[in-house]
Amino acid sequence: MDAVNLFKLASTQAKWLSLRQTTVANNIANVNSPNYRSVDVEPFEAAVSNESVRLAATNGSHFGAKDGDVFQVVEEQASKLTTSGKPVSMEDELVKSSEIRHAFELNTAIVSAFHQMVLMTAKGS
Amino acid sequence: MDYLGSAIKVAASGLDAENARLRVVSENIANAQSTSKIPGGDPYQRKMVSFSSELDRASGTTQVKIDSIVRDSSNFELQYDPSHPAADEAGFVKLPNVNLLVEMADMRDANRSYEANLQVLKQARDLISMTIDLMRAR
Repeated sequence: MDAVNLFKLASTQAKWLSLRQTTVANNIANVNSPNYRSVDVEPFEAAVSNESVRLAATNGSHFGAKDGDVFQVVEEQASKLTTSGKPVSMEDELVKSSEIRHAFELNTAIVSAFHQMVLMTAKGS
Repeated sequence: MDYLGSAIKVAASGLDAENARLRVVSENIANAQSTSKIPGGDPYQRKMVSFSSELDRASGTTQVKIDSIVRDSSNFELQYDPSHPAADEAGFVKLPNVNLLVEMADMRDANRSYEANLQVLKQARDLISMTIDLMRAR
């Protein structure tokens, strides 16, 4: 059943977006902390492509059996000139935050539409 | 993992920190004219807040907390006023090293950061309610 796969992908993305929102919250809360460096989550594409390579665990004793989606939180790179990370930029956080909102709205809309389609098939009306 | 819940917690810690900063600013402004009780003594010394980020291992987030509140050790302003109760033998009064313009700027900055944290909190709440709305589907 392919529909289930879509739901799984959607929930993975929702988790990723939630984690990204947490990193935005971190950055904004620490905007006045000295020596704090801006962080972000690894891109969703990278996280999903890791997923497909991961070994399937068919037994509890297998390695990599951890089921939860784990995303890497990395320090943002500033420019090519420095290597010491990037201080928090409020504007960037604003952009990120609206991106997250947009993506989350799209995500929930798609899930809701898909859910309706599944229901339609089940009910036959 | 409850990511959005921890986002709200982090934003709350930011609100808390800005709150403390605003409190210190108000202390400075209120005491902008507080001279010493004894003749020739030191007046009110301006306070400054220092923030630091702290890793909360339970949720893996970096919350902000007040590191320390330190005194500003810059020089006091001297004013010639022999009739003042806090004047020394030469007739000079030490006034606090509070600059109202600096305090105002600091207050505005704290205000803006508070608003930003509040926006994050609102957005996290909106995301949660979007998820809940999925369950409410007809």
